[in-house]
Amino acid sequence: MTMLPRFRRLFRIDRGAVDVPVAVADELQFHFDMTIDELLAAGKSREEATREAHRRFGDLEQTRLGLQHIGRVRVTRERRAQWWSGMSQDLRYALRGLRLSPGFTIGVMLTLGLGIGANATMFSIIDPLLFRAPSHLAHPDLVNRVHLATQYQGKEFFRANYSYRTFLDLSRDTHSFADFVGYWPRNLAVGDGTETQERRVTGVSASFWQLFPVRPELGRLFSAQEDKVPFGENVIVVSWPYWQSQLGGRRDVLGQHLHIGKLDYTIIGVAPRDLIGLELTHPMGFVPLTSMATNSFEDRGAGRRYYDSYSMNWLQLVAERKPGVSVAAATADLQQAMIRSLEQKSALQPGSDPIASLKPRAMLSPIQFEAGPNRSTATKVGTWLVGVALLVLVIACANVGNLLLARALRRRREIALRLALGVTRGRLLAQLLTESLLLATLGAGFGLLLASWGGSVVRHTLTPDAEAGGVFSDPRMLAFAALTMLVAALLCGVAPAVMVLRADLAGALKSGSREGGYHRSRLRVGLLVVQGALSVVLLVGAALFVSSLRQVRAQPLGYDADKVTYVEQNLRGTALTDDQRYLLLDRLVQRAQELPGVVAASRTTSVPFYMDWGEPLFVPGIDSVSKRGDFVLQAVTGGYFRTMGTRIVQGRALSDADRAGTEMVMVVSQSMARALWPGENPIGKCVKIAADTLPCRGVVGVAEDIKRGSLSDDPGLMYYVPILQYPVGAFGIFVRTSAPATETADGIRRALQAEMPGNAYLTAQPLADLIAPEMRSWELGATMFTVFGGLALLVASIGLYSVIAYTVAQRRQELGVRVALGASVRSVLQLVVGDAMRMMAIAVALGIAGALLAARWVAPLLFHTSPRDPLILGGVAAALLLVGLAASFAPAWRAAHIDPATALRSE
Amino acid sequence: MPRARNDILQGTLGLLVLQTLATRGPLHGYAITAHIIQASAELLRVEEGSLYPALHRMEQDGWVKAEWGITEKNREARFYTLTPQGHKQLAQEQESWTRLTSGVRRVLRYA
Repeated sequence: MTMLPRFRRLFRIDRGAVDVPVAVADELQFHFDMTIDELLAAGKSREEATREAHRRFGDLEQTRLGLQHIGRVRVTRERRAQWWSGMSQDLRYALRGLRLSPGFTIGVMLTLGLGIGANATMFSIIDPLLFRAPSHLAHPDLVNRVHLATQYQGKEFFRANYSYRTFLDLSRDTHSFADFVGYWPRNLAVGDGTETQERRVTGVSASFWQLFPVRPELGRLFSAQEDKVPFGENVIVVSWPYWQSQLGGRRDVLGQHLHIGKLDYTIIGVAPRDLIGLELTHPMGFVPLTSMATNSFEDRGAGRRYYDSYSMNWLQLVAERKPGVSVAAATADLQQAMIRSLEQKSALQPGSDPIASLKPRAMLSPIQFEAGPNRSTATKVGTWLVGVALLVLVIACANVGNLLLARALRRRREIALRLALGVTRGRLLAQLLTESLLLATLGAGFGLLLASWGGSVVRHTLTPDAEAGGVFSDPRMLAFAALTMLVAALLCGVAPAVMVLRADLAGALKSGSREGGYHRSRLRVGLLVVQGALSVVLLVGAALFVSSLRQVRAQPLGYDADKVTYVEQNLRGTALTDDQRYLLLDRLVQRAQELPGVVAASRTTSVPFYMDWGEPLFVPGIDSVSKRGDFVLQAVTGGYFRTMGTRIVQGRALSDADRAGTEMVMVVSQSMARALWPGENPIGKCVKIAADTLPCRGVVGVAEDIKRGSLSDDPGLMYYVPILQYPVGAFGIFVRTSAPATETADGIRRALQAEMPGNAYLTAQPLADLIAPEMRSWELGATMFTVFGGLALLVASIGLYSVIAYTVAQRRQELGVRVALGASVRSVLQLVVGDAMRMMAIAVALGIAGALLAARWVAPLLFHTSPRDPLILGGVAAALLLVGLAASFAPAWRAAHIDPATALRSE
Repeated sequence: MPRARNDILQGTLGLLVLQTLATRGPLHGYAITAHIIQASAELLRVEEGSLYPALHRMEQDGWVKAEWGITEKNREARFYTLTPQGHKQLAQEQESWTRLTSGVRRVLRYA
């Protein structure tokens, strides 16, 4: 045994767990030696004494191990207790510090709260879209959606909808899957009489209940026997929210009947509260897929029934792999089955495209639809906003870091003193981090409050269909907030920590806060520049989205979306012949025109952003009209152009005088005229609809282009025919009112409902509502970028102000001397403001560079706006410099008016 | 575990050790054994294999405090001292021991 451990022990310097075995050995050895001494004294030989001592002691090794174990447990406990006491000490210290400067605390809490709140908000929106698996899914890791990628005209398209026959083929011809589920969510009329309301009902194959092995809240689920081709049982498992809100949550609902669509359903069960299924919101209930098919499709004869046709693609597919089967292996298996199914289809429908040219590729995509190949613009914008929210957090952290740094600088002497007194840097670091952690916790609390409020606002614009969960009750949300909080605490705490670690002891101790105080911290300037640069990036983003939104809104639609309502008839099993349906629609048009406030009304076949009707076209002198584009048919009554507000730019509009038996006429859109007869007068040209053998239809007018499927790049290829000469598509009518459609739509529906026979009913939607989703992503992008960008700018300008004001306060003496020596107000202003402007100039340059770098990725989300628009970039740069000027002017003004006498006397 | 002849009744070892420390002040393990042998007129012998684990457990429980010190013969040893908590524990164990013995005595007398 060397001297060193003994020495250490004497002075009770504990090295912790490492010393335990040594201490145990020493203690036992001592006992042993004493026993031997005693025995020797009693006259035994050394050999005998040793043997006797060993005998008395028993199993020495076991005792030793036992003691070591006890010792280690003790050391760990002591250390933990020490850590806790240190921690609680730090916490008390930090709390006291924060209480002493409430302004600082509240400022930091708000800043961090905004940053964390922005992130929590975006997370709450993106999580269910991209990451969270549906609740009650038995094996989330094994479940995939089935997509089919096919090539068409050099582009790849991803299909998510399949025929029932494909569903059967794939279930039968694959061996990698434990479960194949087909489902179809559909809006159906639920209830009777005035209670009737359209609600979403989801048809699911019975295998759905294997994917979601739930115990119903009440009653039972349905079995494969009840989901039989061709007719499933008309039974429904209602969702929990529907049961609560519409059925009063009563326990005697089992066996009750519900009129859904055109069938009568029996309630057999109530789903558990949080069973949503494969979409983002609760349907009103789940019915067997085959019963849904019966409810929705007419029997159109062999080969065209839902279960033996390949051409009705109505259901979405979800597959669960068998345990242990990789995605790659399962995909290969699926691919082979998919090709077989496509071959079957080709054999039945000889006219379809050759399979090889489609280059079909079966895909297993994530269960979250939006994480698959067909993600919506809303999700894309949402993902961008996640990045934006992160930037806001970084800016907030930079700002808080700066404030903490200023605090640390003010406490330089205190810190140096404590270091000199032997407080370890580790302890000091722990204290500073405790402070920033505490601030971040306060911020996170505030941030969650913001998120619970802001989240519902944003979610409403971005994903109005998704169901909102409580922010505070969602463990994933809380975990995310906690994580953000930790990140924020570290980001904020790092700058002051670095300063502490590099603290120059002697210098700080020697100098008073007078001499030692003024040194321009490069770190603080760096943080400021980062904030400024990120603000520039966000503001550029905001300007780009605002400009896009303005461009979108300024788009001529070719009709007045605000004043037109689309009224659709829904027969709900009421048997009417085609002729009866046409007559009914004519009566609705007639009746609508008599209503007060109605300007005009017309029957319609195609509805913008809702549905298109197409027929093959034949034009003399043109080989293949379909190669020139996708032409959409609009069969209307005479009031159509007046109803929609679509202008006729050449020739005449259609009128009610154009009927069966009179001259066959049509009106074409400008784009269509250009596509078919470039450079020629379209009036009088001949077009044949549906078949080449039919007689000519003469073009009598040209209408302005309208947007019908896309706001950005709509080809606008549209033609109009009198519905009396081409009776198709008896679905609905357009009604134009003098007041905005949002106010009149429901009144019109009620007034017209009286005309409907049997169970038939009407729905009325303002045309603007159909277009709104198209605008949503830009609206949201513009709003959020502006809000976040504004926040960033605000935070950055506060940061700039505080840094400048702080510097001025530190330089009070020097500035006082300058003023005393005759420096003019102007020159002092220049000095201080110049400093600030130099920083801002660097920030602007970096920010613009960043914005240009991001341009490539943001461009596809913009509308008729270049991400490199010099006007926007220049404008933002100017705005930031102006803000910099404003933020630094007040402290500069104060500096220039320092009274030299007081400045020099003080301290 | 091999048992010694003069094994001490389960649960009384703690009482003996606490009592020893209370009367004799800070002692190392060997001195505790020696005191118990002497005080019991060699009727009781504490087995080393049980003494040290018992001492360390008492230390963990906060009944005794251990410190390294120097013996009269200038050797380094670990000395155990009774803590206030240990005093309380001793009082409790004394009382329960008294109850136990008087109970046992009554049963013996009854027979």
